[in-house]
Amino acid sequence: MIMVDEYLAVRVLRGHWPDGLPDDELALTASRHWRLLQALHGGRGGQLSQVLGQLSPAGQDGVRHPHPEVLQVLDPRPLLDDAAIVAARFGGTGLLVAEALVAGLAYGRQLWFGTATNVGRLLAQAANELGIEVHVVGA
Amino acid sequence: MASPSITPSQVCGKLVDVSTGEELLEDRRRRRRAGDPRLTERDREILGRVVDGDLADEFQAALDAVSAADPLLGGTGDLDDVD
Repeated sequence: MIMVDEYLAVRVLRGHWPDGLPDDELALTASRHWRLLQALHGGRGGQLSQVLGQLSPAGQDGVRHPHPEVLQVLDPRPLLDDAAIVAARFGGTGLLVAEALVAGLAYGRQLWFGTATNVGRLLAQAANELGIEVHVVGA
Repeated sequence: MASPSITPSQVCGKLVDVSTGEELLEDRRRRRRAGDPRLTERDREILGRVVDGDLADEFQAALDAVSAADPLLGGTGDLDDVD
């Protein structure tokens, strides 16, 4: 199983498997799923909200409750203690980054992103120190 | 002393098991790569706009806004604070 970000999760949900992404089971951390759900339900009033509001009920359900054969959402509880250790080590790291790092350590020491802008400097530096490979693949 | 015998049916059974297992894995792989079957073509177009089209910048801003609004999620750290 490999860990992906919100971009790769959505691409795979819509049936677009990016070139370079390993042919393996995929998982999203709970905090990244939370961010995706916030974008879906957030109602920030912009064009994004309007367009996401045009998803069919089944399409919304596909994002809210991903089909486990396509994308799994990790249970955060087994990761919390190690995530707290990582957060303490790297000073002020939030759950988003700490959970991703710990999940990356647990699943093949790799993290996969759909765009470089979604990586973040702190995650990149911490991943390097922890020996986690960060991969970015485009559409 | 007689050596253990394997009947043709046992051999065939094992071959069938292996073949079935591979087919199941391949089916699962195909389903994984096909995406969520509940999504309509219109849904797939919309999500494509969100992550790879005209809404990609707004999508990234929305993700960043969620983190920024919640210190528990986004944290308060700065690279300068990392030892």
